[in-house]
Amino acid sequence: MFAMKRLWNRPTQKSAYDTVIIGGGLHGLAAAYYLARDHGLTDVAVIDRRYIGFGGAGRNTAIVRANQRTQENVHLYNEGLKLWPELTRELDFNLMFYNCGNLNLVHSEAGLGAFRMNVATAQFCGVKSELLDAKGCKEVVPQLDISDRLKFPIYGGMYHPPGGTIRHDALVWGLAKGAAKKGVHILQQTEVMDIGVDKGRVTSVRTDKGVINARRVLIAAGGYSTLLCRMVGILLPIHVLTIQAMVSQPMKPFLHHVVSSGTYHAYCHQSLKGELVTGSHMDPWPNYTTRVTARYIKHQAEALTEMMPCLKGLKFMRIWSGLADMTPDMAPIMDGNTQVENLFYDAGWGYFGFKSAPIAGRYMAKWIATGQRPDILSPFGLERYREARLQGETSTPINYGPWD
Amino acid sequence: MSYLLTCPVCGKRNGYEFRFGGEERGPRPDEKDLTPQSWLEWAHLRENVGGPQKEWWCHQQGCGLWFTTWRNTLTNHETPPEEGKS
Ligand SMILES: Cc1cc2nc3c(=O)[nH]c(=O)nc-3n(C[C@H](O)[C@H](O)[C@H](O)COP(=O)(O)OP(=O)(O)OC[C@H]3O[C@@H](n4cnc5c(N)ncnc54)[C@H](O)[C@@H]3O)c2cc1C
Ligand SMILES: [Zn+2]
Repeated sequence: MFAMKRLWNRPTQKSAYDTVIIGGGLHGLAAAYYLARDHGLTDVAVIDRRYIGFGGAGRNTAIVRANQRTQENVHLYNEGLKLWPELTRELDFNLMFYNCGNLNLVHSEAGLGAFRMNVATAQFCGVKSELLDAKGCKEVVPQLDISDRLKFPIYGGMYHPPGGTIRHDALVWGLAKGAAKKGVHILQQTEVMDIGVDKGRVTSVRTDKGVINARRVLIAAGGYSTLLCRMVGILLPIHVLTIQAMVSQPMKPFLHHVVSSGTYHAYCHQSLKGELVTGSHMDPWPNYTTRVTARYIKHQAEALTEMMPCLKGLKFMRIWSGLADMTPDMAPIMDGNTQVENLFYDAGWGYFGFKSAPIAGRYMAKWIATGQRPDILSPFGLERYREARLQGETSTPINYGPWD
Repeated sequence: MSYLLTCPVCGKRNGYEFRFGGEERGPRPDEKDLTPQSWLEWAHLRENVGGPQKEWWCHQQGCGLWFTTWRNTLTNHETPPEEGKS
């Protein structure tokens, strides 16, 4: 018989920690893990209002890639991509990295032109990525209909072999296990209600289970980070939208790549359990709910069966949604120690912050522990919006939201 | 569940008929005395209230009217103004 063995224990909340991390998502857990691993900082608490993985960490569609538009982003994501094999070994947890590659479809010459820029950036940064014509796309994914029957016929694509998928829950559990083993306290069902600041310096967090004094605080609360930053008067250039995703009934393995189309607002891949995992639509008004709508099931069915007619008749099993904290330039905001001393935040990861969690957590940990902002993070500060130095990530995905 | 919104002209309609126009945040600042900070605040920064907020909507697929209303961002329900008064 199997004996039940907890991956992490249930610690008793202390009245003070050196560092408090708000949000038991992947960014928070990764920061905690690397604070302990790289900087010997184990007097750390990760606090979550619900349970670890409640937010985007447990709701994402698990896609990883490093084919963004700008160099600053590609460098960061590419380092992140290289972490998977290392983390699987180190955490002694099977993250089920499926290095299947990503195929992004385009449906016009202009679309291909935009991807030409992405491919040039990737190749310049030493990341494998190439352009394909429609026939090339069909060679990669034979199920595609490349005829002109489609409303938006497939014109070509960007193929990025290093990408793929990761078992997202495994990453949550693996990081929690790794951090807890090093002494980090994971405090679930504990809500941060306020953040204490004295003379411009962070001092504590007030939770529904009492006040916790803290020398340093990291806000890593995914889509809820805007609410937490507001507690200390920090406003962010973010729109929090709900994004929906769904899975179909399981099938025998048939699709061996991540396929996406910005024009059809749809992407999909087949999970290792056989389900088609698909998503992409957002309700274009800010809210903090996790509502779903039948509208997107219908849309998704239409889009997918148009691009891959063999999917006709496939049944959806589940639909869910999560928050996507969207910035105007589709790049994250990692900042700290500015408006409030010793207060850091890692937000604005929209629908692309799963793949980057370990690497972002690792660099945020370095920043928190050393007090020096790592160079790789300097393009991601909040000041870029004041200085009108927005990043150019908007050219790749459809520009959702109220600002277009 | 779909989100219902009340257009002052057409009444309660499906939320997807409307286009969100942002939080109500007062008039655009005067060009005179504009600083990078005041432009940042107006152009990019948002309150992102968790609760009732006054905001702009356009009945895009209906009568085309732009109007303000109150909505609770935590529930996605319209809120009567007296409740949402801040
Ligand atoms: C449907 C969907 C699909 C996605 N697909 C992808 C994808 O394929 N690839 C990709 O890279 N990214 C994807 N993303 C984006 C990715 O999931 C997020 O960017 C990422 O998970 C956010 O970081 P996080 O894990 O640290 O935050 P979260 O997991 O959201 O963690 C935030 C945590 O903070 C807690 N919290 C909130 N408020 C408080 C409080 N007051 N006190 C204490 N705790 C609090 C919450 O309970 C939550 O657990 C997707 C997102 C969604 C919703
Ligand atoms: Zn109307």
